This record gives sequence, structure tokens and C-alpha cells, in this order.
Amino acid sequence: MLNTLLEQSSLFLQQLVNGVTLGSIYALIAVGYTMVYGVIQLINFAHGEIYMLGAFLSFSLVTGFFGIGLPFGLAVVIAVIFCALAGVFLDIVAYRPLRRAPRLAALITAIGMSIFLQNLALLIWGAQIKSFPRAVVPAFLFAPALQFGDVVISWLQVVILTTAVLLMVMLQLIVHYTRIGRAMRAIAQDKTAAALMGVNVDRVVSYTFALGSGLGGVAGILVGLYYNAVYPTMGYFAGIKAFAAAVLGGIGSIPGAILGGGILGLAEVFGGGYISSSYSDGIAYAVMILVILVKPTGLFGRFARDKA
Amino acid sequence: MKNKAMHLDDRLFSDKKLYLPLLAVVLILPWLPMGIAGPYVIRIATLTLVYMVLALGLNVVPGFTGLLDLGYVGFFGIGAYTAGLLTVYYHWSLWLVLPLAALNGALWGILRGAPTLRLSDDYFAIVTFGFSELIILVIKNELWLTRGPMGVPGIARPDLFGIVLNQPWQTYYLIFFFLLLVLWTVVRIRSSRLGRAWFAIREDEIAAECVGVNVARYKIIAFALSAAIGALAGAFYARWFRFIHPDMFKFWESILILCLIVFGGMGSITGALVGALVLIPLTEILRIVLPPEFSNARYLVFGLLIVVMMRWRPAGLLPVEKD
Amino acid sequence: MKRDLSIILTLIFMLSLLSFSARARAQAETIKIPVASPFTGPLASFGEGVKNGALLKADEINAGGGINGKMVEIVLGDELCDPKEAAAVATKFANDPTVAIVIGHLCSSATLAALPIYKEAKLPAITPASTNPQIGKSSPYYFRNVYKDDFQGDFLARYAKQVKNFKKIAIFYEVNDYAMGLKKAFIRQARKLGLRVIGAESYMAETADFKAQLSKFKMMRPDAIFIPGYAPQATLLISQARSLGLKCAFFGADGLDDEIMLKNPDADGLFVTTPFLVDQGGAQVQDFVKRYREKFSIEPNWFAANTYDAVGLAAAAIAAVGLDREKVRAYLAGISSKEKAYQGITGATYFDKNGDCLKAAFVKTIKDGKWVSAEKQLQ
Repeated sequence: MLNTLLEQSSLFLQQLVNGVTLGSIYALIAVGYTMVYGVIQLINFAHGEIYMLGAFLSFSLVTGFFGIGLPFGLAVVIAVIFCALAGVFLDIVAYRPLRRAPRLAALITAIGMSIFLQNLALLIWGAQIKSFPRAVVPAFLFAPALQFGDVVISWLQVVILTTAVLLMVMLQLIVHYTRIGRAMRAIAQDKTAAALMGVNVDRVVSYTFALGSGLGGVAGILVGLYYNAVYPTMGYFAGIKAFAAAVLGGIGSIPGAILGGGILGLAEVFGGGYISSSYSDGIAYAVMILVILVKPTGLFGRFARDKA
Repeated sequence: MKNKAMHLDDRLFSDKKLYLPLLAVVLILPWLPMGIAGPYVIRIATLTLVYMVLALGLNVVPGFTGLLDLGYVGFFGIGAYTAGLLTVYYHWSLWLVLPLAALNGALWGILRGAPTLRLSDDYFAIVTFGFSELIILVIKNELWLTRGPMGVPGIARPDLFGIVLNQPWQTYYLIFFFLLLVLWTVVRIRSSRLGRAWFAIREDEIAAECVGVNVARYKIIAFALSAAIGALAGAFYARWFRFIHPDMFKFWESILILCLIVFGGMGSITGALVGALVLIPLTEILRIVLPPEFSNARYLVFGLLIVVMMRWRPAGLLPVEKD
Repeated sequence: MKRDLSIILTLIFMLSLLSFSARARAQAETIKIPVASPFTGPLASFGEGVKNGALLKADEINAGGGINGKMVEIVLGDELCDPKEAAAVATKFANDPTVAIVIGHLCSSATLAALPIYKEAKLPAITPASTNPQIGKSSPYYFRNVYKDDFQGDFLARYAKQVKNFKKIAIFYEVNDYAMGLKKAFIRQARKLGLRVIGAESYMAETADFKAQLSKFKMMRPDAIFIPGYAPQATLLISQARSLGLKCAFFGADGLDDEIMLKNPDADGLFVTTPFLVDQGGAQVQDFVKRYREKFSIEPNWFAANTYDAVGLAAAAIAAVGLDREKVRAYLAGISSKEKAYQGITGATYFDKNGDCLKAAFVKTIKDGKWVSAEKQLQ
């Protein structure tokens, strides 16, 4: 009896650790959705693909897919910078020309970009799941950091969590204490007024895309390591779930995205572990639909939707 | 001179010069000398007609009422599974199964639509997406009902007056008949009071409400009609294909159907038809023409196509002109 | 405008017709053997084996003078393991009168989609890889030289109990027809043998995160985890299990028999069923392996071996009775006992009344990054 109690509680703890790790990854991606939505009211469907590109690029750079193999740290930095630039590029090429077009047009374009990027990755890297070879990744990541009883926390989980927390703190500092952050908040409140006050809207939007996409790239690399799997459709599923997290937290709100990511990660792990593993993907969709229908502003939503 | 696309859509059934040649091409197709490629070409032509029906059905919601539906494949799947399961379990005739499937589709269209009435564009899109993913998950997991990933094999062919239609040209004519039926319905509705109410909602929902359009009611009708058409196509598909499997109703199919109407021009009936006519055979031709290492990236073209259309021809090839 | 439109439409129709019929007007000098499988897409690595096996056999036949003096031509049909694509590919083959037999498809869902089309065209087909029990029963024109799911599941349960002496097994299966068929047969046999199945969890093909369910398994302390599913997910699953500190054994069926398992250091000790053992076969097998390595510079897997034999069977049928579909079917159906069996590299192949084959299964395991025969086979 005591034994089963002990087992159950260590199972609970283990699931908690798994859930928090998953949640911090969702949060990293969700922030990208929410920031972009905050400034231009667009669901950037292609954000999940940026995350996928982050994973593929770091994989390719460390394994020498493009001819030269780089050290792990350098590869990560380059991949993240590339993701940030890719986000800016995406905005300039696909979304900026449609700023004055109906919102439907931009939304459809975002879907088109998502399909395009996903298939581009398929063409370049093939459909098969790629794994980071053990030799090129710092070995300590795979070692357990903490172990008590049956509960294991790996270094990778520690790294994911600390990276996520650090980046979120940094992001909050940027948004609240820098000029560009203030400009972002100004645009989020009223684009026209901000423009009249001399804010260069296009430039700020570019910064927003760069920040969000960079974070998405980091998430992609972490996930690629965590599951040891990189494949073209990874962004599609993670993207949808992260979007659900952003909606749950209240789209447009950065703390909301973080909290939403955490909740969704936990819900999915505990739902999968305790309720039904076949429906664990469905939990994200169900949460998303319920939040939209019942409380569309989410937990922290500041944006009353523009509909009477 | 009024704008051309309006003419096209309105004249589909009244202008002999327009519909006679088209009708002739469609009817003659199975009898053209094609040698051994014949049944294959008829199969692709049948598939194209199925997607025409789907495109017309989807068009009702984003095209007429201006709401983006990202989960249309859900209704296609509901129709296919309703028809497929009723046929396999009860051996009912197509002409009994088909209306039931369409009704079931309409029911789910209303169930999905009712709570989303007040949502803005992008939230509506997301809800429709989540809804169809949930439907597919249910189809995959509820083995007692749908046999899940085992799929449903052995579905009977379509029948007519007790005769089984087992020639490719017969099923081809059958789906053409359904296409005409759906086409006639949407063309008539488009120029009716209902159609005008939808366009009013699309242009400005608040203004429409102010002048007394019952927005909720008209939206619900659009959802039900669109879903019923999707389910009808699904029902035919199940009986024609004789095997259904959850993998046939992936999210990608929703995007493909959306592609068809974006390409042809959202809200344009002829646009939806032309979109299917060009893009569906194109996927087959690309498979044959492209070297194998590119054939799985065919969809890249579709993604690019959407982006390019939105950028340079947002109203599609055959736009519904607005003034 | 409207005239333009009709002209464009007619043109498109004509063009597509032309492109199809140009391809259809093919040469009659060769004997076409179509092979349908996913050659691109996520399961392309399985299709690769199918393609190579077929090409190797065709080369061998042609080097020996072909079939009655005519060269064999392998026609590949890529269907991405998608039922819709499989049906289109099948229609193309079924309506080509010069085709007397098809080799394919790989995924059971694709085979089931193509099955009614072949049945109607009275075109015999041999699947080297689809293991769903439905297939044989549904059509007299479908044969297979791979065993059924229920046989493998049953076999694995006996192996786990009688050879490995496991007591408690957890099952982690993919939600698809193949894996669920395996799981069902395994549980049925395990119950008979008194082998305890302490838990069963499922995952979807697109899943990459197995930690929640694995954590649950860890608390149950199974002796082994049975993974009915495919290699791409299984390799992730095993790595994640190890990172959670699970120390139990892992085993699976032929779906895990793939090169990518060898790249995963955590997969050491994994054992799987296979119809074909490289290091224990006779001279015919060694010759096949040698030529395969030379031609494709990779190791052959069982898909390659089974397809090699399937093409051999097809060639034997055509050599004996010509390109008449009914006669080819009758010829294959006539291979109905051990004495009449076709002797290939995967052993003796003969069919029961459903067209299903009765064959021995072997077990192989990963040792130091290589597949080797398990020390003990089940007799």
C-alpha cells in the first residue's frame, strides 16, 4: 500500500518535471505568436516552421550537412540568428505588402508560407527523422542531473528550463525598459497614433519578428535535442499547440503566453499519462476551442476583439 | 457593361454559348479514344469533379460570408464515414445513404457554427481548424464505430434503381450529376435574398445587422449548406473509392480545397470550378512529369501559389468584382 | 472572355489526355512488372528496400536471358503510403493490358485501397510487406509472401515467454492497423501462456514525445516493452525511455527492422522478428547479400529480400503461363503446399486458400550497432 503510494507520488513528480519542460518549450514558441499578434493582429501560421528551421539548421551545421561541421555552441548561435533574420524576411516578403489588405488575405498568406516552408524543408532534408549524433552534442546534456528514487531529471531538462526562464526575463526587460520595447507596446495599443508620434512602424514590426523568431529558433533547437528528432512536420504540430497556449494565456500578452505554455504542457502530459494517450494531442485543440468560445480574451488578454 | 465575373456566375445556366461547349466536353470525355489510359483519365476526371463539389461547398463560407474555414475536411470525413459505415453495416442504397450523410454533415455544421457566431475572422479560422482535428482524432480512436486506423474496406459501389454502377464512366456521370445539382443550388441561392444577405455580412457585418439582416440566422444557414455539400461529396467519395481511412482526411485536404477557391477567386462560383479543374489534374501531371525526388514536394507549389495569388491577384483568376 | 475560357478548358483537357496517352503508348518488347510502394515520403526508407530488391531480381533475370527471351522491366509506382495515391497508381496498372501481375503495396492501408481495383480488373498482385489479416480474405487475386500480423504477434509472445522468460510486458503501440493487429494477437497468445501484459499505451504516428506514458511504464517495472509500430518512432521512444532511466528490454516486429535503429546507441539489445536472416542463410542468401551490397552499397533488409522473392515468384508464373492474368492467378494459387513451394532466399513460399503464406519467423537483435541473429531461435 505504502509502496504504491510512493510509486504514484514519484510518477506524479516525474510527470510534473516532464510537463514543466514541455510547457517551457511551448511558452518559448507561444511568445512569438503573441508578440506578432500584438503588433499586427496576424496569426503567423509560419511561426512553427521557423522553429522547425531552427532545429534543422543547428542539426545541419553540427553534422556538416552543408559541407562544414561547426562546434555545437557556434552552430546554435548561427541557427538562432538565421531564424531571427528568416522571421524578418518572412514579414517583409509576405506580410508587409498586405498590411492594408483584408485580414483574411494575410491569414491565408501565412498558411501558404507555412506549407511552402514545410515542403521546402522536405525537399532539402527529406522526410525522415534526423537525430543529433551523440558525438557532436555536449555529452553532459544526456546525463541525469538529479535522481531520487524513480524520478529522473536530465541535464537537458534543466538546460531547457533555465534557458526558457532566462530568455523570458530578458524579453520582459526588453519590452518594458528599452525604446524599442516601448515602441512595440505603443503600436500594440494604437498603430496609427504610434505612427503619428514618430514611431517607425515597419522597423518595430521587423524587430518584433526578429525577437519572436529567434526565440522560436531556440525552442526548435532545444526540442530537437530533447526528443532527439528533427523532421519537416515538427513545426506544424508544435506550432498549433503553442498557438493554443498563446490563446489560453490571452493572445497579445507575453506573461499570458508563458503561463499558457506551462498550463498546456502540464495538461498534455497529465492528460496523456492519466486519461488517454490517444487523445493527448486533442487536449490542446479542446483547450483552445473552449477558451475561444468561453473567454476569448484568455487569462491575461488585454485585447478586446474588434467586433461589436 | 457590368462586370464579367458576375456574368459568368449568373450565366452558367442561362447562356447556351457558355454551357453547351462545357457540357459537351464533360459528357464526351469518357468516350474519347484514350486507349489504355482511359480508365485512369476517367478516374482523375472523377476526382476533379469531386473536388469541384468540395470547392463549391467550401466557397459558401469564406467566399459568400467572408469567414475563413480551415476545417472543411472534417465535413468531407463525416460524410464519407456516415455513408461508408451505413453501407457496410446496413447495405443501404446510395440514394438513402447520401441524404443521411448530407444531413449529418449539416447537423455538425450547425453544431460547430452556432457557438462561433460572434467570433472574429482569425478566431473563427482557428476554431474550425481545431474542430476538424478533433473529428479526425475521434475517427482514428473510436474503433467500435469507425474501425479507426484499420479503415473501412468493402464499401459497396453506388447504385441506381437497383443497378450497381460498376463502370468508371457511370460513376463519372453520377458525380457530374451531383455537381450540377450543387452548382444549380449555389447559383440560385447566390442571386436570391439569402445570397444578398450573405454578401452584406461579408462586406460589413455590423452594417448588415443595422439594416435588419438577421446575421446569426443567415450565417447558420451558410454553415449548414456548406457542411452538407462537403458531406455529400464525402458520401459519394466513400462509395466510389470503396475504402475509407482516417489518413484520407488530413488537414492538408482542407488546405488543398482552400487553394482551389483562392486560385479561382474567393466567392466566385466559376472560380471554384476552374480552380479544381486546373489544380487537381495538375497534381497528377506533376507526379508523372517531376522526377521522383521532387514528387513529394509537389505541395510546395501550392504553398507558393497561395502566397503569390494573395500578393498579386488576391481576387483570384476569375474575380467577383466589387465596386 | 467566355470563349477564351472554353478554349482554355478544352486545351487543358486535351493536354492532360496527351500526356497520359503518350506515356501509355509503351513498348511491348519487354515484360512489365510494376512495383508499387512509397518511394518518397516518411516511409521512403522502407520503399527503398522494396525498390532495390525488385531491381536486383530483374537484373538477375535479364542477365540470364530474361523470361522466355524477353527482358523484364520494373515499373515503379510511388504512392507515398497514401490510400488515395495508391488507388490512382493501382488504376494505372490495372488498365494496362500488358501488365499481368503487380508487386505491392507496402502499407496495409494502401494495399486495402488498391485491392478492389485489382480485384475488379482480375489482376493478381503479391504484396511483399502488408501484414494486415484482412487482405488475403478480401480478394482471390491478392497473395502475399510475408506473414500476417496475427502470426507475428503470436510468435513474439511465445518467444518472450519461452525463450526470454519475461514475466511482465508493457505494450506501447502506434494507432494504426498494423500495430493494433500485432498487439491484439500478442495479448491473446500472452494470456494463453500466462505472460502478464501489465499496461498498454498508444501513440499517434506524428508523435515525438513519449515521456508521459514511459514514465507511467517505469513505475510498473516491466521486464520488457513491446513496441508494435515503425522504426522512426521506436528509435525516439527507446532513447526517451533510457533518458528516463528505464532499464528494461525492448522488442518489436518487422516494422522496427530498419537501418535507422542501428544509429541509435540506446537500441542495443533490441530484438525483432524478421522473415530473413543474413548471417544464417545458405549459399543463395549469401550470394544475394553480396550482390546487394555491391550494387547499392547498403545492407539488405527484409523488404528487399521479400520483394526479391516476390518478383521471382511473378517471373516464375509468367515464364510458366505467359501474360494471361487468370492463368497467372491460377498458377500462384496452385503453389499450395510445401512440395510445390517456391524456393527463394526467404525460405519456401507457398500459399493457403486465402493467398496468405506460411513461413518461418526468425529473431534478430542489435549488438554493437549491428543486426545479428539472436542466439536462440524459437523452433
